[in-house]
Amino acid sequence: MATSSIQRQVRLPASVAFGVVMQGIRIRLGRALVTLMGVVLGIAFLMSILTGQTIRQGVAREAEARAEVKRMMSFLTAEIGPVEGRALGVVALGPLNDLEQRLLTELRNCKASRLQWSGPLPPGLPSGFVQPAAGRAVGQGAAALLVMGAGAPDDASWKEWLAGAEQPVAAVTRRTSRAPAGAICLAREWQPDELRARAEEARRLKFRTGWIIVISLLVSVIGISNAMLMSVTERFREIGTMKCLGALSQFIRQVFFIEAGLMGLIGSAAGCLFGVVFAAAAYSLSFGTSLVLASLSPGTLLLHSALCIGAGLVLSIVAAIYPAGVASRMVPATALRSTV
Amino acid sequence: MTIDQDRFDALFPASCETGRRCIIRAVDVRKIYRMGKLETHALRGVTVDIVEGEYLSIMGPSGSGKSTLFNMIGGLAKPSSGKVYIDQVDIAHLDHNELAWLRCRKIGYVFQNYNLIQVMTCLENVMLPMSFAGLDGEEARDKAMYILKLVGLGGRPLHKPAELSGGQQQRCALARALANSPDIVLADEPTANLDVRTGGEMIELFARLRDELGVTIITATHDLKMLRRSDRILWIEDGRIVRSAKPGEVDFGSGEFH
Repeated sequence: MATSSIQRQVRLPASVAFGVVMQGIRIRLGRALVTLMGVVLGIAFLMSILTGQTIRQGVAREAEARAEVKRMMSFLTAEIGPVEGRALGVVALGPLNDLEQRLLTELRNCKASRLQWSGPLPPGLPSGFVQPAAGRAVGQGAAALLVMGAGAPDDASWKEWLAGAEQPVAAVTRRTSRAPAGAICLAREWQPDELRARAEEARRLKFRTGWIIVISLLVSVIGISNAMLMSVTERFREIGTMKCLGALSQFIRQVFFIEAGLMGLIGSAAGCLFGVVFAAAAYSLSFGTSLVLASLSPGTLLLHSALCIGAGLVLSIVAAIYPAGVASRMVPATALRSTV
Repeated sequence: MTIDQDRFDALFPASCETGRRCIIRAVDVRKIYRMGKLETHALRGVTVDIVEGEYLSIMGPSGSGKSTLFNMIGGLAKPSSGKVYIDQVDIAHLDHNELAWLRCRKIGYVFQNYNLIQVMTCLENVMLPMSFAGLDGEEARDKAMYILKLVGLGGRPLHKPAELSGGQQQRCALARALANSPDIVLADEPTANLDVRTGGEMIELFARLRDELGVTIITATHDLKMLRRSDRILWIEDGRIVRSAKPGEVDFGSGEFH
């Protein structure tokens, strides 16, 4: 009896494969950058679409808010005449919403002399302009009384507020306040057909962006998988050599997946950055920088970045499945013969 | 994997012929390459025994099947039919894991075009098979440096293959083949790209490996010096071994057998 000495090959830790990958990337930096560009372009496209969508939505919201404030202003001035040089009484029942804040700013821009204020003071307005009212009679000597914030004041409150007013005009900015007869409501009343049209428009927009995102994902998939395939085919000989030297198929697979993961991570991070910068720059040209920057919230950006990096990583690894399989199944002799 | 030696000897009496172990045995190996409808018979039934510590040279015109035979006995490809035994184990019965072990530890390959990994330095190329064998760090570095010195490349361990001459790349490839102290060295035209002097050194190195370490050397070559130093010469033509002879029986003047 003789015992044959054939044993099983040891499985190498992933760190060895990682070392091989890093070495390959470092030496073939130019080639790695080309592969990386495939990922970067795909993800930059996706990210710029997402960011562009955010910017467009933000700008649309902003434009709508501005139009709404203009409308509220014109309602008010239609009732009381120009506000220039006149005082207004304001009762803040609770925290103000965006539109109410904007209305206050608009009042200041229209050169109202001052606001006689009752309730929590709003931020961002100079104290000379906003003055806490003396006592309950907020509307004393004021052109009009504005009641802002959510709440339903009783009739007695209204009476107190309007006592001594220049003209007893009351205006509410929200639908819910229990206003006395003759009070005007500045809030917009949406008609059912208007609501339907808005919903329809939102649905169309959603469909359109969904479609564009699908296309951009397709572009990314093709770019990334092409890059990964190239990096395998150009290394057939190297893979064959490694197999001749005793590399396991599993090791070869590991090398490709680690490389794909690294490329995916770095490429999509860079792609995200490029995408955001590109979209912001492009939309700045038509909407102006401040409006674009204001419409980009860090939260949304972060969410989209995470989405894009995740997509880039997954796509890279999925794209590497086929090439890595081809490489790991290759018979050493065949791999050595190839002249790619 | 265990093998019944008595049965093996009964089956293959030739393995005891010289009193030494038969390290590689090919029995009626055939290889057919198919390219579409075209069939190429690269090997048409090759039977050969190679004993441990033998210095075997294979000659043959290009396209005769030399490289295919190399791939078969080196475990780099599987024959279409016939059997290849390496160290008394039928390699058809080995799984990919055991084959990888075999290629890593048992056999050292020197390819005709070196097949050095271009992105790695000379030293890293030599250390690569060591890392596949589980040897790492200082120990591997020391061993690799020692082997590089042995092949006369101790002075340029950190050069990339592209920065080396053909002869130096050849030495690096040989050093890599020796990395895991293989029992068998398979070298395809190892002196083809070397000048006369370094070629001679390479031949001496092979002879030393055989004499001192008992390494089995199998080369494909047309180098007369190499043929003279070998124990046996096989002449392969059109996928068949047409002649097997000792160097003394060959008239090197005409390149033909007596």
